[in-house]
Amino acid sequence: MAPRDAIVSLKQVSKLFGVDGGVHALKCIDLEINLGERVAVMGPSGSGKSTLLNLICGLDVPTTGSITFDGFDLSKLSDDECTRLRREKIGMVFQTFNLLPTLSALENVSFPLRLQGQRSHVAEERARAMLERVGLKERNSHRPDELSGGERQRVALARALIFEPPLLLADEPTGNLDSATGEEILHLLDDLHRRLNMTIFLVTHNELAAAHCERLLILRDGQIVKDEFLERN
Amino acid sequence: MFRALALITSRQWQQHKLRLALTMLGIVLGVAVFFAVQTANITLVSSFQVTIEKLAGSATLQVTAGEAGFPQETLKTIRAIPGVVIAEPVIEVVARTSLPDQPNLLIMGLDTASDQKLHEDMFDEATLEISNPLAFLTKTDSIALSRAFAEQYGLKHNDLLPVFTQKGRQDFTVRGFFKPTGAGAVFGGNVAIVDVFAAQTAFGRGATFDRVDIKTDPNSSLDSIQQNLRERLPPGLHVERPSRRGEGIENATASMNLGLTIVSFLALTIGVFIIFNSFGISVNQRWKEIGILRSLGVGRSQVQQMFLGEAVVMGLLGSVIGIVVGFYLAKAATKVMSSIAAAIYGYVSTPQPPQFRWDYAATALGVGIFSSLLAAWLPARAASRLNPVLALHNIETQQRETGSGRVRFMIGLMLVISGVALTRFSTPRVGLMIQCLYAVAIQLGLILLLPAMIAISARVLRPVMGRLFGIEGVIGVDTMARAPRRTAATVGALMIGLSFVFANGAFIQSQKRALNRSLDRAVNTDLLVTTSEQVRSRTYHFTEEIAGRVAAVPGVKRAENLRVTAIPYGGDEVALLAHDMDAWLTRAPDVLDEGDTSTARSLTARGEGFVISRNFSTRWGVGLGDSLRLETPVGTLVRPVLGVLEYYHSEKGTIFMDREVYKEFWRDNMLDYILLTLNENVEPEAIKSQVQAAIAGEQQAFIYTHQEYKEWVTRLIDQFFTLTYLQMIVAILVAALGLINTLVISVSERRREIGVIRAIGGLRKQVRKMVLLEAVAMTMVGIAAGILSGVLNAYFLVRTAATIIAGFTLPLEFPFAMVFVAMPAVLMVALLAAWWPARRAVRLRVVEAIGYE
Repeated sequence: MAPRDAIVSLKQVSKLFGVDGGVHALKCIDLEINLGERVAVMGPSGSGKSTLLNLICGLDVPTTGSITFDGFDLSKLSDDECTRLRREKIGMVFQTFNLLPTLSALENVSFPLRLQGQRSHVAEERARAMLERVGLKERNSHRPDELSGGERQRVALARALIFEPPLLLADEPTGNLDSATGEEILHLLDDLHRRLNMTIFLVTHNELAAAHCERLLILRDGQIVKDEFLERN
Repeated sequence: MFRALALITSRQWQQHKLRLALTMLGIVLGVAVFFAVQTANITLVSSFQVTIEKLAGSATLQVTAGEAGFPQETLKTIRAIPGVVIAEPVIEVVARTSLPDQPNLLIMGLDTASDQKLHEDMFDEATLEISNPLAFLTKTDSIALSRAFAEQYGLKHNDLLPVFTQKGRQDFTVRGFFKPTGAGAVFGGNVAIVDVFAAQTAFGRGATFDRVDIKTDPNSSLDSIQQNLRERLPPGLHVERPSRRGEGIENATASMNLGLTIVSFLALTIGVFIIFNSFGISVNQRWKEIGILRSLGVGRSQVQQMFLGEAVVMGLLGSVIGIVVGFYLAKAATKVMSSIAAAIYGYVSTPQPPQFRWDYAATALGVGIFSSLLAAWLPARAASRLNPVLALHNIETQQRETGSGRVRFMIGLMLVISGVALTRFSTPRVGLMIQCLYAVAIQLGLILLLPAMIAISARVLRPVMGRLFGIEGVIGVDTMARAPRRTAATVGALMIGLSFVFANGAFIQSQKRALNRSLDRAVNTDLLVTTSEQVRSRTYHFTEEIAGRVAAVPGVKRAENLRVTAIPYGGDEVALLAHDMDAWLTRAPDVLDEGDTSTARSLTARGEGFVISRNFSTRWGVGLGDSLRLETPVGTLVRPVLGVLEYYHSEKGTIFMDREVYKEFWRDNMLDYILLTLNENVEPEAIKSQVQAAIAGEQQAFIYTHQEYKEWVTRLIDQFFTLTYLQMIVAILVAALGLINTLVISVSERRREIGVIRAIGGLRKQVRKMVLLEAVAMTMVGIAAGILSGVLNAYFLVRTAATIIAGFTLPLEFPFAMVFVAMPAVLMVALLAAWWPARRAVRLRVVEAIGYE
């Protein structure tokens, strides 16, 4: 078992890619992320940031080593159990928003709850409240193509946090936004973190984004070359 | 440049083998059905031709007079004509034997005393075996068999061969064998020869012959001899070259061929939709590739040509495979068509392997390539008009499609309305091609309306599916509605497939209902006794003596005798029903649609007029009060038309006359049906056995109650439409293929979306459910569109096609029961079709899908 306040724990995790396993994406990673912590992961392209994120949420499996999330050893879970874990405990935000294009903002946000089998009116009630939190009360019925980039990312955030997960994984959430909008999203993240106290695992290239976190990991060639706690303003 | 573009195409095909295979399969099936029907048609026609020519031997002319034959005295007149070298009488019957498995035998009655110069190939001295020539000539029970038949049933000299004749089972003695060549090879070699006069007696021909085969002097003009014969013989006798008689049979079965050809074009249309679908999606998938090509200097027209080139190659390959498949399908189709021709028209054919016709293959190839090009035209144009900057910038934004345009909607609506209006108000005189355009307008209009129909259906289905199946149902409907063009192509294929099924079902049901109503009015007797299980038997008939015995059965109140035959009219063959007109019109007083029944009854009973079917009236332009002129074996018969009724016995038309007139002019007193009205409180089943007992040992009789007769007729209609039913199944399969195609592509287009759903917590089974529900949503819209299109096409078929093909006026009956049966069946097929794409969706690697571009 991981220590009581560690929500994610990686032990000697390696990931190999390629036909003959020639690409070493991650090499013997040991990492613990604590509850409520905001961790920024930086590093050059190909350093293994996204691989690390995919392993933590159970979308991918390590070649060697073990990953524990909220007390569960991910390697012992079936695909469906991993999926259930994700939809109940892990929110995800992507660089390209990845909203479902045919659904309205309200439907997109309520979607994870409906996947869990909640009735549509209950799910939509909660989604409405979540959209209000992210400042999109008036945009409920708009579809993604009727929203600006910043608004889309707010909807994506609302969707990720609708079931108040203990862990939010964000893969370059400001990568497709201009700097002002990106800053808005980061402030929103700060605000949501303060209110919901979830753990945030933020993959980014952007130092300004990383500055919103308490802890910074720097990856290079599949290894953690720096793990430091930041002093916040 | 083209080589470079060909490289791109070949790599695309390597990467998307499945899409390529499904597209090709669409072409293959369409072309195969088209080619099979054409090949089966020509094979059947050729087998009729071959049969007639072989039976004619070396005859250069033949004299016939319809089914009833003509007086044997005519032979003398024919032989006396200058230039006639040989004139041999013939009687030709297909008789049942009571050998094991009861094979039918084509029995030719020939003048065995002659030297058989007309059939030298069959009777050459080296191979002809007559054990006792004198006995063969003098004994009327002598029969010679083709060696093939004899060997198959182990028949030797002096063995007895039991044959069902007009007088019941009769044993013939085998006294000779001949080579299974020439006439001996027709009918699968099941051929026998008896003396023509013995055949007259055995098959109740009286003093008539069916035919006289003539060999003319090769040094004289055949035309002048033919003309001379025509002038010297009564006008009811036809003097034709054997090849022209084959054309007559071809005409008689033309409606069957025409119907099947129309149907095969429909199968091809569904194939076109599949190709259109595939190309449309291919363009969408290759958006970025097209952008890159444009940025590298490939022009708009070259992009278009690249796609059209792909269409040509696919069309070529698919058509070649389709032709091969079609050729093998033709084997089965020929068998079915031969059995229909035998059962419905009573024609004998010689089984023949399908004939591979290069001209048909070339046509099929052309049709396949043209269809492929036609289907690829719009997607290719869309590809060429693509904005390269947008394409390079973000491929996801390009996948959105515009919905239904108002102009498109209005054009579609106008086409449907005008197609229906023209079907309703236009006259049949405008011709087949013009009338077919009405159906094309309706179908094209519906296709243009499809995106609007999909949008409306999605609005209706979304909350319903959401309520029934949760968010997966909503996503399924949304996915369908999101790509109206792609969905329209699939729904279009489903619509055409189902429309084809429903419209044909309606057409068949309308025919059945109309026929049943007609039988209720015209043949409303308690029992009906007939000689054959087929619509027309050219062999077995009742004699008046048998009819008298049946009429005398206790419990029979009234017996009406009916001769059902065919006579030549206007270069074609129409049906003739010789009835006791007084009894018939008394029993069925409301049978006439036009004309005064009591006048018609009294005058036709005295032989002073005819009654005709409405389709005869339409086809030949003869109406109430007009004089109808018939050429009979003994002279011309002209009488006024005193009544017109809806009657569906023959698509060429039916003439009703009093049987006494028929007997006088055709010298034929045979009967085919005996209609019995029973005394009250008499049990029909009891009478059936008494009738059987009265006829026992002489003639085989099939006895039906009115209801049983209607059921028998219904079965015959089903038999007539056997190939149509098979084509219905093909149509559904082709449509299912379109569905698979669309769903596979839908899944691959939505890789990222599916990946996201999985990433944010969608279970595999939920993703599977979404794909399956997308198929369900599309199928529901396809069924709705299919019903709408089916109703309109059924209206077209009963209003127009029935009139063109047969001159029938049919009230429309839509097969709602068929729709209710089809709905779950089609949904099941759709779910099966969607299973594999759903599996692909479920097996998607989420990490790759999220990062997919």
